[in-house]
Amino acid sequence: MATKPNPGSELRDLYASESVRLRQDFLRTGDGPAAVFGRTSLVDSIASRLWLELISPEMEGPRDFAVVALGGYGRRWLFPYSDIDILFLHAGGAMERGLKDRIARFSQQLWDLRLKLSPATRTLAECEKFDPNNVEFAISLLDCRYLAGDRELFARLHDQVIPKLVSRESRSIVQRLTDLTRARYNKFGNSVFHLEPNVKDGPGGLRDYNLAYWLALIAAMEESSGWPNDKELLPPWLRERFDAARDFLMSVRCFLHFRHGRDDNALAWAAQDEVAEEKIGAPRAASLTASEWMRIYYGHARLVHRVAAQLLEEFPAARPSLYRQFQNLRSRLSNAEFAVVDGRIFLQREEALQDRDLPLRMFRFMARHGLSLSSATEHQMEEVLPSLAAAPPKGAELWHYLQEILVAPHAAEALRAMHSLRLLTLLLPEFQGIDSLVIRDYSHRFTVDEHTFVAIENLHALRKSQSKWDQRYAELLDEVEQPDLLYLALLLHDTGKGAKSDSHVTASVEIAEGCLARLDLDAPDRETVLFLIARHLDLSAALRRDIFAPETICMVADKMGTPERLKMLCLLTYADIKAVNPEALTPWKAENIWQLYIGTANYLMKSADERVRADADDEVMTHLRTLTPAAGKKLDSFLNGLPRRYLRTQAASDVIRHMDLASRLGEDPVQLELTRGRHWYELTLVTMDRPFLFARMAGALAAWGMNIVKAAAFSNGAGVVVDTFFFTDRFRTLELNLPEWERFKASVHDVLLDKADLERMLRDRLRSEKNVAPKVNVDTRIEIDDSSSLQSTLVEVIAQDRPGLLYRISSQFARENCNIEIALIETEGQMAIDAFYLTSGGTKLTPEHQERLRAALLAELAGK
Amino acid sequence: MTKVEAVIQTSKLDAVKDALHEIGVEGMTVLEARGHGRQKGHTEFYRGREYTVDLIPKIKIEMVVADEMAEKVVQTVVAAARTGKIGDGKIFLSKVDDAIRIRNDERGDSAL
Repeated sequence: MATKPNPGSELRDLYASESVRLRQDFLRTGDGPAAVFGRTSLVDSIASRLWLELISPEMEGPRDFAVVALGGYGRRWLFPYSDIDILFLHAGGAMERGLKDRIARFSQQLWDLRLKLSPATRTLAECEKFDPNNVEFAISLLDCRYLAGDRELFARLHDQVIPKLVSRESRSIVQRLTDLTRARYNKFGNSVFHLEPNVKDGPGGLRDYNLAYWLALIAAMEESSGWPNDKELLPPWLRERFDAARDFLMSVRCFLHFRHGRDDNALAWAAQDEVAEEKIGAPRAASLTASEWMRIYYGHARLVHRVAAQLLEEFPAARPSLYRQFQNLRSRLSNAEFAVVDGRIFLQREEALQDRDLPLRMFRFMARHGLSLSSATEHQMEEVLPSLAAAPPKGAELWHYLQEILVAPHAAEALRAMHSLRLLTLLLPEFQGIDSLVIRDYSHRFTVDEHTFVAIENLHALRKSQSKWDQRYAELLDEVEQPDLLYLALLLHDTGKGAKSDSHVTASVEIAEGCLARLDLDAPDRETVLFLIARHLDLSAALRRDIFAPETICMVADKMGTPERLKMLCLLTYADIKAVNPEALTPWKAENIWQLYIGTANYLMKSADERVRADADDEVMTHLRTLTPAAGKKLDSFLNGLPRRYLRTQAASDVIRHMDLASRLGEDPVQLELTRGRHWYELTLVTMDRPFLFARMAGALAAWGMNIVKAAAFSNGAGVVVDTFFFTDRFRTLELNLPEWERFKASVHDVLLDKADLERMLRDRLRSEKNVAPKVNVDTRIEIDDSSSLQSTLVEVIAQDRPGLLYRISSQFARENCNIEIALIETEGQMAIDAFYLTSGGTKLTPEHQERLRAALLAELAGK
Repeated sequence: MTKVEAVIQTSKLDAVKDALHEIGVEGMTVLEARGHGRQKGHTEFYRGREYTVDLIPKIKIEMVVADEMAEKVVQTVVAAARTGKIGDGKIFLSKVDDAIRIRNDERGDSAL
């Protein structure tokens, strides 16, 4: 007698053979959507067979019971190893008990096929009830699909229960979605641009596609209390690209499932090689490297993430009330060009985009206030991009905007948005090479462009950080004179990684040179940026040496040249290492960078009086001789005996200018030059040294109400002094009255030649000054160091900055018969940090003299 | 099997690593460490504040090698890491009962 075939083994064979066929089809075509729809149909057919055999001889019977596909299965997205979410839906009462055994057998058969079944059993009333502890179930209902059983029961669920539930609980559902999404983003460092991304759960992955769909669906259901047309959920201009991204991601996920033999969605490097080789999601005729293929991936993921994040932000229910209050406050930021609604920027007039500077003003606005672009504004930007490409802002005008964006607190977010809209690469084509670039380095977590943005973000974040390390570095950042250059160096420091070169540092410098020339930066600013890029690995390399060894410190100091460059490079190194991955900047490294910094900063200050020998044949001297071949001995005699610090801190053009001023001392014994820089005025004095000279100069500036921010005083072997004072014009005397420039110079000239009554001028000035209480109290500290210099005693004064301070200190030196060999004056906020190399009678100060001077200074500075 | 733990100067890591590769040591764990022996701390003043480093930055290299390799490893580390000054570091040796390669369950020397 013939035996009836075992339905289980028959289904197993069917499932196995069809799965092999689906896999082969996929490997042949690379078509992910076809594969997932194919598997969904296969599982549907198996479920139907089991339904007919185990539950009811009719597909649409019995009454009051139905099987419903949920989640990914419901939307026909069954990837090769996806779970199968099924709802056994019944009307309640005795029906459930009567079918209990049959449901168990149905489930058992699916499990026996090794399908990962996630079943749920609910009555219609239970589906309607919202469970705050299981919001995922309510979300999975959004993708419900009829499989078998009572169609009318399913229709009640679909047409009545779900719309009602969603309308009633949309706020809770969206809030939960927001929480889940934030947790998911945090897990992946809030970035799409992971070197080894997760194509399902990572930002920009398929979960984000689903999120966008759910949010759009909930919003539409809230409005209409029914199911909307799927095709109308997203605007038509977005839908095509969004669906293309979905299909791409589906193909990649399919590939990964087949490759790994399980639900593993990590796109690791080895998988990237294979996926590129197989041209998954790419034209079959194309030949792509893994890195080129990854750019396609990031392009799709960036779009999916952008849309999902925007919908999440724009959904009112997604935000707690405190957040909304904050956003309402921010809406007051609206101005004539931009309207701010719920933290999103809208254009007041769309036609304003005809103004080619408007996009830059918009990103500057974004960088300053931490706002995002609304999806409408993004779309408008995308539309206007081709015409902007024809005549983009460039040169100094572009640099002006970039500067303001870079130093603003939310610079990284603005730059990311510019990059995402292709504006950044339009303005700075140098960035194109590192766009979504994967460099396989085990320590790095992000693509090169994202690493750059994270580094910029790290620097800005210093000011808000509570960590001990960050606060030290935040203080340094506040001291940097031109932070815009530091941020620009960070923006360009790794552009060379996109070039075919043995050294990305050299390539980055070459790329930056072109970029800086186009931005029309001043020569000294260009030099600074190029220096930072060229040296951006130097401090990290020095960490592999003994950072306390004098030779290491000396080597680093020689490379840095000036304290300002050291400071900038220290910050760049800190931000760069921290951007490699969240754990890269270990406390060990943070401490070591700091120790290396302070050791080198001290060395630079303490070695300041090392003197230039005119017969030396070093690089700087040779360079200067080349620039002024006619100067000959004039140059040598001017430089002879000047501190090396002078040569390190002055540009070659300044040295030559000072030499020319010195050569005119026969015509006028006091040579003064006044210029206006971006931040400060600069007054240079070249004259013969004499007692009270520095004090009188400081006093003259104080008498005019100028605030000395920085100063440096040097003298050569022949007693020629080069003093440079940088000051701000507190009362805008020079700014508002051009004729005052000459009167100011003449006044300083007279004071220096003792032709004017400085004491009276100062009394008049101090009388008119209001006593303003300082915001921060700085205790006076005087450090005297006799060991740093062979010829001088180093006196460091740290005190509360106030009008006339430098005059008081330097007058005290003169009264105590001390000669200032070198002065290095800095002001950080309300703290004056002044270092003086002093001699008395041509030698160091005796211990008694030092103590007398300390007491006199303390007494002088204790008075108001 | 012997576990070799070497605490060395940060500046000597590359030299030690290269020397160990030369004699066929393929695997090692490198840890950022701080500590001091007879070499004491370091104090630096900056902007009127005192910054004291009690524990000097060091590198710790750990590896487990076959017993017959242990002495050669020690000699190699010593040769590559020695400057002759205080602070060159220390090497510690200890016996290891067994090693298991997680991927394929290999045990003992063949798992190294």
